[in-house]
Amino acid sequence: MSEHEKNILVIGGGISGLTTACEAAEAGYNVVLVEKDPFLGGRVTRLHQYFPKLCPPACGLEINFKRIRFSDRITYYTMAEIEDISGGPGNYNVTVKARPRFVNDKCTACGACAEACPVEVPNDFNAGLSMRKAAYLPYEQAFPMQYVIDEGACKKGDCTACKDACKYDAIDLDMKPDTLAIEASAIVLAAGWKPYDASKIDNLGFGTSKNIITNVMMERIASLSGPTQGKITRPSDGKEAKKVAFVQCAGSRDENHLAFCSAVCCLASLKQATYVREQYKDSEVTMYYIDIRTPGTSYERFLNKIKEDEKVKLIKGKVARVHEDPATGDVIVEAEDIYGGSKIREPFDLCVLATGMEPMISGVKLPSDVKINENGFAVMGKDQKGIYAVGCAKDPVDVAKSVQSATSAALKAIQTVGRLS
Amino acid sequence: MAEQVIKPDLDFVKGVIAAGGDSLKKCYQCATCSVVCNVTPDQNPFPRKEMVWAQWGLKEKFKGNPDVWLCHQCNDCTAYCPRDAKPGEVLGAIRKQTIAQYSSPSALVDFVNNKSSMILLILIPAVIVGLVISMFGSWSPEGEVIFSNFMPILAIQFLFTPALLFGVGVGIMGMRKFWADMKEANGVTTGDLKGSVTAMFKELMSHEKFKECDESKDRATSHLLVFYSFIALGIATALGVLYIDILHLESPFRFGYGTPIKIFGTVGAIAILAGSYLMMSNRFKHADRVGLGSYFDWLLIGLIGTIGVSGTLAWLTRVAGIGGLAYPLYFIHLVVVLSLFVYLPFSKLAHMFYRGAALSFNKYSGREALAEAQPAVEAAAAPVKSPSESEQTGTETKQESGQE
Repeated sequence: MSEHEKNILVIGGGISGLTTACEAAEAGYNVVLVEKDPFLGGRVTRLHQYFPKLCPPACGLEINFKRIRFSDRITYYTMAEIEDISGGPGNYNVTVKARPRFVNDKCTACGACAEACPVEVPNDFNAGLSMRKAAYLPYEQAFPMQYVIDEGACKKGDCTACKDACKYDAIDLDMKPDTLAIEASAIVLAAGWKPYDASKIDNLGFGTSKNIITNVMMERIASLSGPTQGKITRPSDGKEAKKVAFVQCAGSRDENHLAFCSAVCCLASLKQATYVREQYKDSEVTMYYIDIRTPGTSYERFLNKIKEDEKVKLIKGKVARVHEDPATGDVIVEAEDIYGGSKIREPFDLCVLATGMEPMISGVKLPSDVKINENGFAVMGKDQKGIYAVGCAKDPVDVAKSVQSATSAALKAIQTVGRLS
Repeated sequence: MAEQVIKPDLDFVKGVIAAGGDSLKKCYQCATCSVVCNVTPDQNPFPRKEMVWAQWGLKEKFKGNPDVWLCHQCNDCTAYCPRDAKPGEVLGAIRKQTIAQYSSPSALVDFVNNKSSMILLILIPAVIVGLVISMFGSWSPEGEVIFSNFMPILAIQFLFTPALLFGVGVGIMGMRKFWADMKEANGVTTGDLKGSVTAMFKELMSHEKFKECDESKDRATSHLLVFYSFIALGIATALGVLYIDILHLESPFRFGYGTPIKIFGTVGAIAILAGSYLMMSNRFKHADRVGLGSYFDWLLIGLIGTIGVSGTLAWLTRVAGIGGLAYPLYFIHLVVVLSLFVYLPFSKLAHMFYRGAALSFNKYSGREALAEAQPAVEAAAAPVKSPSESEQTGTETKQESGQE
């Protein structure tokens, strides 16, 4: 068997996994990509814009999806999770469990099933800010462009509304879970991250007011495909959110929550400040921080540009109390203005908690030679062989650095395949 | 920004670390502590600024700084500190350092609060009380258990009155020095002294300030019990002095349990036992979130607990007529009470002087309104910014630019 017939398994179909898969495939190697969600693209799909260029992530994603579509070396499975990994470098045997989609490849994404579906649930793609049907398309530009039926929400048995509505015989409500056996010479871990659960930070009031949101929710609110079609309003009453607070280090750099710096939240908040400032000329933004971390010249330039806007206030002092004023729906943010020398309590239309990134890799069943550090990230030793972690499986990093590490891991995986074939 | 030369006092830093502030250097100045604190003023709040002063060894900043004493160490700050820097514990350690600044001789502060001198700490008063008993009393009196046969009342008065006067005197002297420093450091020249002190005592009676703490609310209850037990036992003692020296009654008095001296004594005993027990159990209960406390804390709790237990047991065994137990217990009781009197201005108990002064000063200077708690907006506008504070801001700007 030639080395080009061996597989590289990529776990996770976010920006890191997609990049590794495309790079390895285009170098002439076979790749199997396994993704937990019903669509590829991961967290990046939910972003309105990238920092620092403020361009839409959809462009880059579209290019990657095209690379996958035109490659005959990439096999991908959505709604699939790792059950077991055995063997070693050169000959891993991986068991993958795929959940049923209940929609087959005949789907044309016409949407008739969703229209017919009687069940409505909170839309997790929009962080619960809108509703969707149990038969749904994850988002407008989802790849694969294929509907899916939410097993947990679907009434099953007595309801066949979606199946009856489908003209293409694309719905199969009897679809069963599938177990796949995959042989791979090398594995790339691209399990990514999830936003830290803000309700665990009891002093920041998340969950006590609809107008206290997370940065991930803010991306959806600003997004044209989001719950408000890009209009930045406060969730409680739809009022234009013209006075917005950003609370940095919400659960990051905090030994009670995530002990590490999530590395992207400062830039994300600065970027989101531009969303507000672009949309409303008379808006005001205040960002409360411990330290503003924008490493590198382009990020530093981005910060300096935002500092020029006098309607953006940067206050040194971590917010430690947030609560809603029940009379107005305003959110009162409390901090010590360290340079000003006093405690301040300021009302805002909307308060955005810059929550950090919690690694997902600890949720994957891994062989014992993969070490996870105290923060939950995979540790890559110098003599790591066969399994390589990338992006936020390894460190809290932004998209640019994820893509760099993904490219480097593609090369490592290729070397492993070449050496052990 | 004006140039400022910083003269770090490394011994001060080491002193704070040794006194239980070993987490000091973890602080990264986020100011969570100042925000979650319910008792800190809005203007120049603590404990964030105290943390950086202590890290840098800016001992001078603590001269006449009332803020470390406004802290009741409820440890709301420690519970929410993202770095586990335990500002509550650090402020406790700084308070120990300020006690050394004001209670003289300051060497006694180190002696009293040093774990390695614990044996001497107990031994010296034990030898003194022992000598007095040897000279004027009897180690094994015959017949009915009567404490004055063991240690004559006159001997007690000659030993304990000067001890108490010494303790209180040193405390008051230190407090006066502290008050003058607070006025100087904060640029305050006049104020309503009587009104401030009265308001402070009013708050003290109900422990109003203490009850504002979130994380360990129940500590207000235990402190209240111990506080009132001291008052009750003080009154009982004063009544004893009244009966003996003024009314010339003979000890033992043989009063019934319905008489004032017995009521105050009994209620005081129950309160001191309950209060000190709660103090200990609360510390264990909250240890995982806010820390167990330092030697400085436990020495006082230990002294108070021992006074309560030895006093009560001595009384019970006396009533039961078990001289073999009653006299040794009474001896222990005398030793710890003498220790408490002498160590008063050097141990954590010195807080009665310095916290009292600081709480009064906060009202005297107008930083905290005398009548009602002032609304946030007014507080922010109140121009009480001390010269040291302006310098502080400059210092930090410099640190910031240094990091960049």
